[in-house]
Amino acid sequence: MDSNRVVVIGGGPAGLTAAYQLAKLGRPATVLEKHHIVGGLARTEDYKGFGFDIGGHRFFTKVEEVNRMWQEVLGEDFLRRPRLSRIYYNRRFFYYPLRPVNALIGLGLWKSLLIVLSYLKWQIFPHPREETFEQWVTNRFGRRLFQTFFKTYTEKVWGIPCSELRAEWAAQRIRGLSLKTALLSMFLKPNRTIKTLIDEFHYPRLGPGMMWERVKSEIERSHGTVKLNSEVVSIQREGDFLRRIVVSNRGHQEIVEGSAFISSIPIGEFLKKLDPPPPPRALDAAEGLRYRDLLVVCLILGRPRLFPDNWIYVHEPEVRVGRIQNYKNWSPAMVPDSSKTSLGLEYFCTRGDDLWRMSDTELLEQGKRELARIGLAREEDVEDGCVLRIPYAYPVYDAGYRANLALVREFVEGLKNFQTIGRNGLHRYNNQDHAMLTGMMAARNLVFGERNDLWSVNTDQEYHEEALIDGKALEEAFSRIFLKLDRTAFGVAAGLVSGVLLFLVTLGVVIKGGDLIGPTLQLLRYYFPGYTVSPAGSVIGLLYGLITGFIGGWLFAFLRNAAMFLYLTRSYRKAQRGLLRRFFDYT
Amino acid sequence: MADEEKRLEEVILTRLVRLNAKIQGVVVGLIAGIGLFVATNWLVLKGGKAVGRHLSLLGQFFIGYSVTFSGSLLGFAYAFVCGYIIGYSVARIYNWIADLKEGKS
Repeated sequence: MDSNRVVVIGGGPAGLTAAYQLAKLGRPATVLEKHHIVGGLARTEDYKGFGFDIGGHRFFTKVEEVNRMWQEVLGEDFLRRPRLSRIYYNRRFFYYPLRPVNALIGLGLWKSLLIVLSYLKWQIFPHPREETFEQWVTNRFGRRLFQTFFKTYTEKVWGIPCSELRAEWAAQRIRGLSLKTALLSMFLKPNRTIKTLIDEFHYPRLGPGMMWERVKSEIERSHGTVKLNSEVVSIQREGDFLRRIVVSNRGHQEIVEGSAFISSIPIGEFLKKLDPPPPPRALDAAEGLRYRDLLVVCLILGRPRLFPDNWIYVHEPEVRVGRIQNYKNWSPAMVPDSSKTSLGLEYFCTRGDDLWRMSDTELLEQGKRELARIGLAREEDVEDGCVLRIPYAYPVYDAGYRANLALVREFVEGLKNFQTIGRNGLHRYNNQDHAMLTGMMAARNLVFGERNDLWSVNTDQEYHEEALIDGKALEEAFSRIFLKLDRTAFGVAAGLVSGVLLFLVTLGVVIKGGDLIGPTLQLLRYYFPGYTVSPAGSVIGLLYGLITGFIGGWLFAFLRNAAMFLYLTRSYRKAQRGLLRRFFDYT
Repeated sequence: MADEEKRLEEVILTRLVRLNAKIQGVVVGLIAGIGLFVATNWLVLKGGKAVGRHLSLLGQFFIGYSVTFSGSLLGFAYAFVCGYIIGYSVARIYNWIADLKEGKS
């Protein structure tokens, strides 16, 4: 084994992208993947010729280099697909993103009215502090809408009550809810391409796994190695340098040496595999990082068409399934027999809980029952199925994660020849595109000695509506437009100019002279008692001009600031509402 | 990103805007100029025995101005210059005071 080689732990989007970029830059790497296929959380599992995508991966990005790589690798197999998703709640389907008329019809007039009243109530009397997700959404939508459309699904996904989920999570996850976005939205109309991409998305013909299988082939063609079924047993280090990795491949142990290491495995797991182990406080922090896991009950049904959606969010509390994927609607090629349909019923869980402990047979039975209960298919339509168990599907942002992650990060950053990437490597709720971006940056750090901060790559980066605008330029532009007009300064300025103007005009008329001096200007005395068109009157006019000009200027500045504040607040709220309508896309 | 957000909020909430004196001068000048141009021509088009008795008093300050079409052009020029001076002066004085308040001068 070449001890000068780069070793990439994890063959998901981040790890494979890093290896792909390294291969292109002339530094082939060895990728270690514990599964029998590549793709990690974006793999496509095959069951009797049917493709099952874990979680449904829309290929949508604003990161141009990621998009370029998708196009480059997939070529004509990169399909553009229409998007339809709905929410199932209270035995009804609601379009998602929410459409007001559809929601009104679905909820009924009385319930809709109550929702509006609740919204108004919470606008007038909001929670004074927004500490939990529940308070955060209620303040923006009202309690009734929160209970209708947010509570059950969010609780299914995270497994904890919304009253315990931190508001910070929502604020982080829904990146666009920022002052910057709100301000931008005043000036930038979402461009047509982006708008269309919200209704459409790209998807590989055979699912996301197709992308990663091709990347694997490219890596191997460029003299890289991708070792499947290779689970990391331990990572040996000497001081601040990683030296070699002990890998178990179907019971056989192998040592993989390298000069530089990149890992996308859960950061906590990485720390636990280090030999010698890290300091106890880093290990304890790693133990404190929590994850949410996923079960996908894959069903094959003997019906050609069930429903038009790509996926359905199941908010109904009576069933435990959280989301249902209809793979045929993602790509017809995911189903080898057009007379059949394949579905993925997603159950969010935590390893060791009752759902996770259920046997495959029990889960399949439960899936069938719930499908029938929702009314999407009959139990007897299900011909076959299997269960996929996906640990570490979602990093959890709980109360302690930030402190724990800081400790873990502090230790990891001390390792000189190591970079951690990807969703679980960074314990960041990144989507596939941002995971890939961390892989690209890690490769550039290694080859060109760049200092890209991988921890800063996350969903905060450019996404749906936001355009690529330099932060400093933006700040500069905003600071020219939205800053306060100082009332006193503007009042004084207006007062001085008015006073001097009236003084000069009066004096000018007096100097000009004539039989009747300034008859029209004299009329000002009705408003300015004591004012006359005379030298003394010009001084009085100066004082009056000062006072009235000041009042006028002060009022103008006050009203301008108030209008700007209201405008900003309104735009901010509008941006929030717009993004919350698409809330579950981020969940 | 969060820091950037916070910084932006702080900037917007605490700092004072500065006015571009030339632009403000041009804007006030244009408003005044167009205002007088329209007002003059409105009276000209309206016609009558004594066209624009009161407006013509501006001729005392704007030498040569009359309530006629050619007068409206001259009035535009006068009003623009006056408006420019007023707008420019207000902006310069405002900026000077704002600088004083923010301790920049």
